[in-house]
Amino acid sequence: MPKCLVCYKWTLDEQDIKIRPEDLSLDSSRAKGKISDFDRNAIEEGTLIVEKLGGAVDALSYGTAAVKQSLKDTLSRGPEKAYWIADASAETADAVVTANVLAAAIKKLGSYDVILCGEGSSDAFNQQTAQRIAALLGLPCLSFVNKLSVAGDVVTATRKLDDRTEEVSVKGPVVVSVLAEINKPRIPSLKQVLGASKKPNEEIKIADIGLKPEELQPKTARLSVKGFVMQRKNVIYKETNVADNVAKLKASLASEGLC
Amino acid sequence: MNFKLTEEQQLIEQSAREFAKEYLEPIVVSMDETREYPREAVKAMAHHDFLGLHLSAESGGVEAGFVTYIAVVEALSRSCGSVASIMNNHAMASYAIQNWGSEAVKKQYLPSMIKGEVLGAFAIYEQGPAPGIGPKAVVSTKTDAGYVLNGTKAYARNAGEAGVYVVTAVAEADRPKTAVAFVVDAKTAGVKVGERIATMGLRGCPVAHVVFDNVVVPESALLGAGGVQIINRTLALGALAEAAQTVGIGQAGIDHAASYAKQRVQFGMPVFNFPAVQALLSDSNTDCHVARMALYHAAQLVDDGEPFEVESAMVKSFLARFGAKLLVDSCQVEGGMGFVENMPLPRLFRDITGTTLVDAPSDTPERAIAMSIA
Repeated sequence: MPKCLVCYKWTLDEQDIKIRPEDLSLDSSRAKGKISDFDRNAIEEGTLIVEKLGGAVDALSYGTAAVKQSLKDTLSRGPEKAYWIADASAETADAVVTANVLAAAIKKLGSYDVILCGEGSSDAFNQQTAQRIAALLGLPCLSFVNKLSVAGDVVTATRKLDDRTEEVSVKGPVVVSVLAEINKPRIPSLKQVLGASKKPNEEIKIADIGLKPEELQPKTARLSVKGFVMQRKNVIYKETNVADNVAKLKASLASEGLC
Repeated sequence: MNFKLTEEQQLIEQSAREFAKEYLEPIVVSMDETREYPREAVKAMAHHDFLGLHLSAESGGVEAGFVTYIAVVEALSRSCGSVASIMNNHAMASYAIQNWGSEAVKKQYLPSMIKGEVLGAFAIYEQGPAPGIGPKAVVSTKTDAGYVLNGTKAYARNAGEAGVYVVTAVAEADRPKTAVAFVVDAKTAGVKVGERIATMGLRGCPVAHVVFDNVVVPESALLGAGGVQIINRTLALGALAEAAQTVGIGQAGIDHAASYAKQRVQFGMPVFNFPAVQALLSDSNTDCHVARMALYHAAQLVDDGEPFEVESAMVKSFLARFGAKLLVDSCQVEGGMGFVENMPLPRLFRDITGTTLVDAPSDTPERAIAMSIA
């Protein structure tokens, strides 16, 4: 019976983030947290595997102090236990730091047969966490997975690539990153929400997972984040001859590489 | 004082929003057009425990409290007022059975009502004044076999789909008239559901008159409190649930109007930037927020076991004045498009009107409020 671990990220709900018109900076003061979209699929997939084959599914997250808000939400969606690492380093963590922390925590927790991640997070969407964790743990990695099955210690996956699909199998343990279409995440029932309070969770202190200070130093620095707003140019062609207006429009579009 | 939902309540509200997007939004337009009862959606609601949300654990419910119930009704109503109406009427029936039903009746109906196998209807109105005790009230006569019911309940929601009715009546032998209430299985001989009545809004929720023609019910079907008490208590809670519908539908209208105003460009800029449009949206959003605060405060009083009837009346009174206006102003923001039938606002407009007109009529709360300061 497989032992699964799902790594997930607690992100801000992008629907709540406003763009300030004056400088296009983001106002997230009223944004609520949510489980990153693809990570919901990873949680669902881990839960489905265990519902089908038995075994156990745990969840693991690394974030700022806000990560604690995710626990009941996560546990209501299937996992039996949640581990969480809350540290200020998550504020500036890039994919390198995130993978360092998660891999070190997984080493501390023990072995898992299937480690699941979302293909990318809702905010940064770096698409690196699964691959980096696999590399750090010396495990194979299956990415872009839209179909997954487990039989004994063999994990079979369908990978959806740009121009083809690829079916692969690997002897576990394995790290898998899943796409949104792999499943439809369940909507927790009220009993599942209320039952989440009774499930265990455990904090892992970042000081206890044996990382060196430099392993918590991001390699990438985010200089700015700005919203994208479509700006209308409000150009009006006023030639009397319609053909001249069309020609001007065509030239304008061509100058911007649009035709 | 804490105005925030608890973490569990927030998660349940989130589940209700996810549920509404998954199960209700895909069917809401066709439901409005065809008036088809949303059978699969109601089953799914049971699967997600919404139908036992307010009931005690002893009855098999989730016992999540009334504030949670209100949050769920608001969340569902943002997507579909009809389904919220069905749930509210079902909840009123199951609430009455849980609180005043005999053990036999509770065992017979509550588990299947929670599972969505049996829909409940709270049928208290007649075509005349004074629900339950008026001149056209259903009459109950005591016999050796139990009670015999005769009369007609008017405008019963969930009628035809319901497997069980909570019915108020007057006891024939008593002078002056004494109100009583019964649990009546829809399959009982003599229960006849009239033709479905076409309503302006909330069209997925069936409404019909129900005739009780020499309907014999056992003694255990009698609810253990006076009919007036059952009506008043259940209607007061129902009024709050209905207010949650109004707030949810109103917020949906405001959100749609705001979104439309940001896309609609006039004179080189989105109409959202115009002060007149901002005034309409800000007034509506303020009214909706104030109503929501008053609503959740009243719901908290229910959970705290404190008197809530006056606060419930205040919410009802406020929304009677401002509820439909939320949609009038939203339509105004959208201009001509707010009048186009296949846009969402006309449906929301018709639905919100239903929430302020039925059950506790808009003109009765003032007396309760006035008496509280007399």
